[in-house]
Amino acid sequence: MNGSMTSYERVLNSLKKKQTDRIPVVPEVFGVTAKLCNYSIYNYVTDASKLAESQLQARRVIGHDMVFAFADLSVESEAIGCELIYKEDTYPAVRQPIIKNTRDIEALNIPDPLKDGRMPVVIEASSRLRDAVGDTCIVAACIMGPLSIAGQIMGIENLLYQLVDTPDAVEKILDFTEEVARRYGKALLQAGAHCHIVFDPVASPMVVPQEIFLRLELPRLRRLFNDFKKEGSLICWLSIAGNTKKILPYYRDANVELATVDYTVPVAEAFDLLGDIAVNGNLMPFCFVSYSPEKIKDDTKRCIIETSNRRNYLLGSGCEIPVEAEINGIKALVEASLEFSSLCNTANKRTKS
Amino acid sequence: MNKYPEIDELIQAIVVGEAHLSVSLAERLIEKGLTIESLIQDGLTAALQSLNAKCTNEEFNLLEIVLAGRAMMAVMDNVVARYLSPSKTVVSEPDRTVILGTIEGDIHELGKHVVKMLLRSSGYRVIDIGKDIRPEEFVDKAIQQNAGYIGVSSLLTPTIPSIRRIKDLLEKAGREDIKVIAGGGAIQQTTKDDLNVDFVAQSAFDILHYLKNLKGER
Repeated sequence: MNGSMTSYERVLNSLKKKQTDRIPVVPEVFGVTAKLCNYSIYNYVTDASKLAESQLQARRVIGHDMVFAFADLSVESEAIGCELIYKEDTYPAVRQPIIKNTRDIEALNIPDPLKDGRMPVVIEASSRLRDAVGDTCIVAACIMGPLSIAGQIMGIENLLYQLVDTPDAVEKILDFTEEVARRYGKALLQAGAHCHIVFDPVASPMVVPQEIFLRLELPRLRRLFNDFKKEGSLICWLSIAGNTKKILPYYRDANVELATVDYTVPVAEAFDLLGDIAVNGNLMPFCFVSYSPEKIKDDTKRCIIETSNRRNYLLGSGCEIPVEAEINGIKALVEASLEFSSLCNTANKRTKS
Repeated sequence: MNKYPEIDELIQAIVVGEAHLSVSLAERLIEKGLTIESLIQDGLTAALQSLNAKCTNEEFNLLEIVLAGRAMMAVMDNVVARYLSPSKTVVSEPDRTVILGTIEGDIHELGKHVVKMLLRSSGYRVIDIGKDIRPEEFVDKAIQQNAGYIGVSSLLTPTIPSIRRIKDLLEKAGREDIKVIAGGGAIQQTTKDDLNVDFVAQSAFDILHYLKNLKGER
């Protein structure tokens, strides 16, 4: 789309540090796409055809380089058994954690992705999206990391206390949530997704110390990415919000190939900390609500200049673009990519679009 | 030389979140003759300052803060409360009273709980009105409780229109003197004009700084 390469080629070439016609644009657009089809958020998160239609329409209008099979952060917890509160225009949220006492985990079963909660909705959306785009554009499914699923089913405050008070019990819970992520992730790949973004907000150094990430989450992420790779996943992609400087140097140990970095981490610094790993980011998500498209374009230009000696940079937001964002602001990312990709230096000169 | 060297141990125990140890050290200090006022000033307040310094040095993480908050509250509830009547631990004046809640459309409460612990440990009277709270309830409760401040918490940006209404409702009620403070999650990316509030806190300690500065002004 809007260049000499397909989005699929553009993204994969960029990840391999090969030439591209322009910088790939991969903003995390999920519920915000629903407004383009006049669907509510409730429609979007509960109906596979509406989710897929919104994603495809958004790509037509915005011109970015990826479609996402993702409903919301509570899909896994609902499939495990948590009751959710649904509202028309906001994402559903867990009403009450299902694990009050760490022993409650014994009574829970790993959900069947083809039957439980809304996992089948997102799986069907993956399939619909892949049917629509084939191999011209990457279909990225999104799943939650083990710590973040645990935060949903236990309640974040309880999880934090139990990490210290009953660490062995938490390990058991994390083994369970890792398996939930694995089965759901594999089912999404089998349905047609090319890869996943693993979202893990609770693993952020803003929430838990680096030591907890390294000891409890990193080995689990490594196992998950390795298993997904065996299942045919094209990209091992990790998205952790907040200031992640303390953990970025360890992403390579989990075999991460693409890292989304938030606006609090300068892109150039992220590259230095990540080594060879590709970077997606890092415009402030709320700027798509409060800034004019011109200002967003200026900020995007700054990101492009900052990374002009890097081929493996994918423009995007550091976290999900809010549902109330203006579509014209998101389009400014693509316009900036078309206009300013040529600013990249000679060593990495891109082919003309 | 410090007459009570254990006070440093108490500060350290609170900072690392050792609730049981903090309580036993505080009890030992009182038995040895430390006044309750000194326990609060040289122990609890000093521990808060140490945590505050950590926050400003980007060493902040939620886990350490909630554990330290729990240790602090354990000392407050199990030691300080036994020696001081409630009227002495918290003062029911407007500039020491905060209405705290999570705005309608959001049910996340962790940030609010952290703020509640820090404010209470600092001697504020905090009235937690819960989660998914309408702007009208914030305002009614603030007026009813003679509070000087409304603390509104939200993790999510779609709640912004509701946050914006609080100040308008206060104006309608003729109570512009009640300050509105917002904080939490994605809200940190916004400005006070985006939210129509008096202050957007970047951390729990940011609220303490704001209140302290205001107190000097008011």
